[in-house]
Amino acid sequence: MLLICGTIPQAGASLVMGEVSFDGSRLAVGNTEIPCTQGTAALASAACVVAKHCGSAAPHAVFAGDTGSGKGSRLLYDYLSNNLPQLSPDILLMHYILPVMGLMKQVCAAADKCGKKPVMMADASSMYAAKAAGLAGQFDIFTPDLSEMEFLADPDAIHPAYISRHLFRADIACADDLIAAAFRQKSMAKTVVIKGATDHVIQEGKVKFTLSEPDLPALEAIGGTGDTISGMIGAFVDAGLTHLDAAMKALKANRKAGQLVQAKPATKVREIIAAIPRALNHN
Amino acid sequence: MFFKKTKRQARFAGGGLVLFQSVEEAIAAEKTLRAHGYEVKLVAPPPKLRKGCDLAVEINIVEKAGVERLLRQQDAHFLEILPLKGVGELLDIVKVVNFDNACMVKAGNMKLTFDINTGVILNISGGGCPDIPFLHLAMVDKKITEVARPKENGHTLCALMLDRAFVEAAEIFNKEEI
Repeated sequence: MLLICGTIPQAGASLVMGEVSFDGSRLAVGNTEIPCTQGTAALASAACVVAKHCGSAAPHAVFAGDTGSGKGSRLLYDYLSNNLPQLSPDILLMHYILPVMGLMKQVCAAADKCGKKPVMMADASSMYAAKAAGLAGQFDIFTPDLSEMEFLADPDAIHPAYISRHLFRADIACADDLIAAAFRQKSMAKTVVIKGATDHVIQEGKVKFTLSEPDLPALEAIGGTGDTISGMIGAFVDAGLTHLDAAMKALKANRKAGQLVQAKPATKVREIIAAIPRALNHN
Repeated sequence: MFFKKTKRQARFAGGGLVLFQSVEEAIAAEKTLRAHGYEVKLVAPPPKLRKGCDLAVEINIVEKAGVERLLRQQDAHFLEILPLKGVGELLDIVKVVNFDNACMVKAGNMKLTFDINTGVILNISGGGCPDIPFLHLAMVDKKITEVARPKENGHTLCALMLDRAFVEAAEIFNKEEI
């Protein structure tokens, strides 16, 4: 089972959990409809598309309403800390959750108590919490963009807003230096997928795959196009692919989907997601 | 000075400090923040960060935007909010990428893209804190001159980075309009 955990932009810090369904436009967890925006909703939608494509089981999710106060995030951390051993997912994919280092440590400790430790994936603020708390080594897959890679490379930063000026170059040409620095500092998961003008897949500090075609600069502007990659990777891993193969397929499908919709800065992520089934059939 | 701490408080490590001129201000701010649901604790600031008094409030630095706004709303006096490690200043470098009829402004991990002719916010990307999807819903497809600054409604460092991009984007749009 792929278990997706994150917050959704709804006031009222309640939990929503269950099987995720997506019919091409409508996303639901159990019977609760979720607006398909950028963030965890986009990630879950893309994961559903891949699960359907692969003929594997639909993902499950635990979502919490949180508009930034952190109340929903804390509920989610507590739920995972108390219930992960019983849930024992094959893959735990953590996403938009307020970074709280101590609570992330508790979730990692709970994951260790599962019968079989889940494949641990983190993107967005869950990745910030994992790195800041010194837990990166316990994760199997991180999916940063370039600025988040700069954050992983900064030994002291506990959020990308506080990275050193000398590291903030936002230039993919610097990727090798950032990878080396982050690997040296043990801030990397076992597999790191860098999303950018040139996508990189890194394993044990070494570049295993790069992709820069089709070249679609507008994808960077479209909110949610990194989330879709993370969701697809989780679903491909759940379908039995190696982490490297899952990353390569997701990166290719995301670019292809962007090409199919002729992505422009005004394109919305729902249009990209709608094109993923066709993109997967091209791969 | 002795403060009894719960187990959870004792374990709390938030990575940020609010510094105060006086001990009374620190104690009052800690009460205010706690009453509004923030996880905080009173600590002695490390010598290299010490300014004012020898008592500070440790906060989750990611919640800087919300903490700062609340303390100002409550007229709570404080000197500064700083991370415990690394650089003390928020990243202030902004980069601009131009597309046909659109402009993307990047500040740290956040990107805001707007239509240069109409000022409509086309997309917000990057970031990872839970207020970003909320701000995305509140701002996208609206004119940059007609929405609130992200720091007015956001709670986190991602919101502050988005605010930095927003201010720059508004400036670029206003210049284009002239």
